[in-house]
Amino acid sequence: MTTTTQPASAFQKPIAFARDFCMYTVKGGKVFYSWMLFLSFFAIVGLVTTYIQMTTGLIVTGATDQIVWELFVASFIHCPSIASAAVLVVTPAYIYKRKDMKQLAVIGEAIAMVFVIIGLNFIFFHMGRPDRFWHAIPVLGIFNFPSSVLTYDIIVLNVYLVLNAVAVFYYLYKHYVGQPLNTKFYTPLIWFAVAWGPFIHIITAFILSSNAQIAVWHTALMPFSFLAMAAAAGPALVIVTLLVIRKFTKLEVADSAIDFFSQVIIWGVGVLILMFAVEFFTELYPATHHAAPLEYAINGHNGLNPYGPWFWSIMTIFVVQFILLCIKKVRKSYNFLLPLICVSVFLSVLIEKPAVLIFPAFSPTALGEYAVYHPTLIEIFNVLFVWATGFILLTLVLKGVVGVLTGEVRDSQVVEEGGAK
Amino acid sequence: MISARKHMRAAVFVSLFFVAISGLVLQNMPNEAVAQEDAAQEESGAVVQENSADASQEEPGAEQEAISDAGQEESGAEEQEAPADAAPTTSDAEVECYESRKDATRLTKKDNVNPKYGYPNVKCSPTTKAVLWYGDPYDDTEPIGDTPSFGDYTDGDFAQAVIRPRTKHLKTIIQNGGMQCSGCHPGADPATQKNDPRELMMHQDIVSDALVLEHGRGAIWCFDCHNAANRDTLVNHRGDEVSFNESYKLCGSCHGSTYSEWRMGLHGKRTGEWRVGGKKRWWTCTECHNPHTVEEHRFDPVKPEPPPALPRGMSEDDYKGAGNHGGH
Amino acid sequence: MSEDKRKNDIAEGQDDGTTKESRRDFLKKLGVAAAATTVAPVATAKAASISEHLQTHFEMMSDSQKEKAIARLEERYTEQFGKQVTVAGTPAPEGVLFGYALNISKCIGCRRCVEACVRENNQSRGDHEYPNSAIQWIRVLEMVRGNDTFQVENLHKGSPSSSAIGDYGVQAGGHADKAVGISGHAEHYYEPELVPEENAFYFPVQCHQCEDPPCVRACPVRATYRDPNGIVVIDYNWCIGCRMCQLACPYWARRFNWGEPVLPNEDMNPKTHYLGNRPRMRGVMEKCTFCLQRVRDGRYPACLEACPVGARKFGNLLDPESEIRKVLATKKVFRFKEDFATEPKFFYYMD
Repeated sequence: MTTTTQPASAFQKPIAFARDFCMYTVKGGKVFYSWMLFLSFFAIVGLVTTYIQMTTGLIVTGATDQIVWELFVASFIHCPSIASAAVLVVTPAYIYKRKDMKQLAVIGEAIAMVFVIIGLNFIFFHMGRPDRFWHAIPVLGIFNFPSSVLTYDIIVLNVYLVLNAVAVFYYLYKHYVGQPLNTKFYTPLIWFAVAWGPFIHIITAFILSSNAQIAVWHTALMPFSFLAMAAAAGPALVIVTLLVIRKFTKLEVADSAIDFFSQVIIWGVGVLILMFAVEFFTELYPATHHAAPLEYAINGHNGLNPYGPWFWSIMTIFVVQFILLCIKKVRKSYNFLLPLICVSVFLSVLIEKPAVLIFPAFSPTALGEYAVYHPTLIEIFNVLFVWATGFILLTLVLKGVVGVLTGEVRDSQVVEEGGAK
Repeated sequence: MISARKHMRAAVFVSLFFVAISGLVLQNMPNEAVAQEDAAQEESGAVVQENSADASQEEPGAEQEAISDAGQEESGAEEQEAPADAAPTTSDAEVECYESRKDATRLTKKDNVNPKYGYPNVKCSPTTKAVLWYGDPYDDTEPIGDTPSFGDYTDGDFAQAVIRPRTKHLKTIIQNGGMQCSGCHPGADPATQKNDPRELMMHQDIVSDALVLEHGRGAIWCFDCHNAANRDTLVNHRGDEVSFNESYKLCGSCHGSTYSEWRMGLHGKRTGEWRVGGKKRWWTCTECHNPHTVEEHRFDPVKPEPPPALPRGMSEDDYKGAGNHGGH
Repeated sequence: MSEDKRKNDIAEGQDDGTTKESRRDFLKKLGVAAAATTVAPVATAKAASISEHLQTHFEMMSDSQKEKAIARLEERYTEQFGKQVTVAGTPAPEGVLFGYALNISKCIGCRRCVEACVRENNQSRGDHEYPNSAIQWIRVLEMVRGNDTFQVENLHKGSPSSSAIGDYGVQAGGHADKAVGISGHAEHYYEPELVPEENAFYFPVQCHQCEDPPCVRACPVRATYRDPNGIVVIDYNWCIGCRMCQLACPYWARRFNWGEPVLPNEDMNPKTHYLGNRPRMRGVMEKCTFCLQRVRDGRYPACLEACPVGARKFGNLLDPESEIRKVLATKKVFRFKEDFATEPKFFYYMD
């Protein structure tokens, strides 16, 4: 922060930036350290459970040939939801040119970047042979493009990761050295990233809906309901983040920005409820075999009803959240109700994935079997491991971002010049 | 800044938690040692079963063919129920398995018929003693013989066709070395001349009630197929002698369309090489169908192999409850 | 690789117990010490060499690479199973398209095809802790005939129910809670004393070797592909275990090695093919290959040879004289789940 090294080469400044950025991110107050310790606990326990899974195989998870996706995929699907949220932060800032959002755009991009990484981590845990990931790298292995939907997802996620990483660190570096942004480079990049954002979620939805065999996923509504979930869960996390930043750092976040995001959540949750209603009608009225997984999720099958309580409580929570958010007083309750509802939106969209979308969809199987998914302890700890490491990364990155934005991480030359002014 | 002491305390606290959790996790992790023991048990279990079958073979009556032995059903049942936990012996005598029809089509397991792979001629199910797998698909077979050309496109197949001869299994144990049917039934019996079934004194295991033969809907009786003049052979409606090896010729004289399908390879079973003109074992009628009960059952009921494991976490009750109505 | 070398490689009593034990010890140490070690590299099956890890897709290997890959595997399997194992790389015969037909009016549900398949193809037998790690490629469904459920006393239990919000003496609803007769009930886990059971017929399902296989489309690395004979095969050394193919399959024909396969040495079938029945490793997909190792050598698949009633027919779809073609020409043939448009080469027929 107070280094006085003189730039000697072209790499001097980037190195100084990296050093200052990292140094700043790891220092903090009591709350920061408690939060990090809390997360590290799961990260360290997760190391052991990860080792067990990597050496024993996916048999330590609850997945079977009947229900082939575990909590990892169910959690993975949530990540593009959040990552798409960057679009909702960047669009008002750069396309609608809202002044109050200008600085926040980079926070949205940082969240997107970290959540793509978390998503990729989940995929790593999902793979039966993570040691063979190189088989899917285009030149080293065989990339079954354009046949396999998974290859599209590999492309969109990695491109989105790179776009956001470049956008974030370019912006921060320029801010750090006090230079203006090269808009000829930065603006197209941002626009491209905005256009790209929805793809990561659309393609992820295609991974599900491309399986004609799983009738309840085989619907064109899937990408749209995913985008609605993105519009609900993404801004929810952004609001919580902004409220935390506003409370604990010097960065100023205008109420208008937060109000904007709570409006987006209303739309997101509202459209999502509509999508659910439309989907349920279309499936349940004809009640063909396409509706069988949904009927199983809602009412169970011949008395076997493991998902019904989840289904009904999640649907109720969605509706309650929607109603509450429509009340202006609630939206303005920045210190209590709004963050509470935002966390609830985030979690309900997260839990909806395994409990409503994924696990019931596998029953009946292609040969008509009904099964119940039983997550194992090791699996749960591995999921927590990925979330914990992800949130550690998110905290560090956002802390650095805020440091740069507030000027606490600043090139020493710029500091001196600024002081002279 | 957090104070160093507080920091330390928190760290100790967290690491204690961590130790507790990792202990829990270790407890839950798969016990490979147990798995190995189980594998070892399975191994010895297989040995035991082979031996138990072996033990039953030593009983009188186990070696003979069903067609000539009234006690066969009992010994067969005993073999089926041979306790798996019988005391293991060191003998490695041959196991007898059945092919499609229990008590009728049998093969003796011989080890190492294919020395390159250490194959046995057959592998048998440990639960039902059914032949599951052929290391040597032509074991105990011979060329199909002078089956007349049928004038269809299966001609080429005949050159390579083999069957398992039946005649050499038609032995009794009444005298050492065994005799064929004619050992007890020499020459023509006057009772066989007219179509007048009577209750059997023997062979009730084969035909439980000769007055109601489960074949031909009451239109035929024993000596429409069995040769009264020579019990070691069969006879067709023209009075021509038909070998037990060539039962299809006899069956085909009534079941003509089925016979022609069998000749084409549509009906019945063939094993060996899949290519047209390849060496195949043709399974004859009586290797799958029991001619004495065919009206009741097209195939003799058999004990099925065990079902697969239920989906993880599903109990039998859950499953019954779910009904598992499928068919979607 | 010479015979002598192979024999030397069969190290007596070289059990995997030692390695497993040490791994477990290491784990304990790791846990107790609470050492923040990095994630250990994935421990793979014993003696899988680095070159095996780095080898390319089987179809992309040159002949000499194939030979080397096969020799590596033979060495590893021979050591692991304590007997001489051969891994064939027999190429696909020319001018052949394999097809299969199953006579559902004959099948008696004895599951011998299932067991024969397991024995031929070296599937995992499972263990006590994870009985579900046992793998069977064939699933036999017992279908209950519907005629018994159509009875007078069921007449008023069924559809249509009267309207919940007012019954004007006219039944308006179309929501059958319970149909008068139930048909299409499929039981996977039937276990009667004797089969066939009364009022039941049987429906075995295995890989249908589709001409337009959704599983092949879904694979991101082309580890699963259609071979020149129309059989969908898997390069077990190339599969990354993403299970997209398992999701895509409408026939539930694919099985995953969730853990290390449990294959007792004495049960292991030593005659294997690279794309067929060679022992698999943890974390890869497997499926019916019509016994590739047998059919490429000219023999019938094991399930066919085990069937006691001759319900199974196999052969070359391109040869009009073949049994399978004669079945297609003369019998009442249908395909399962034709609405998925996957063009299976597995047919069901009735007499």
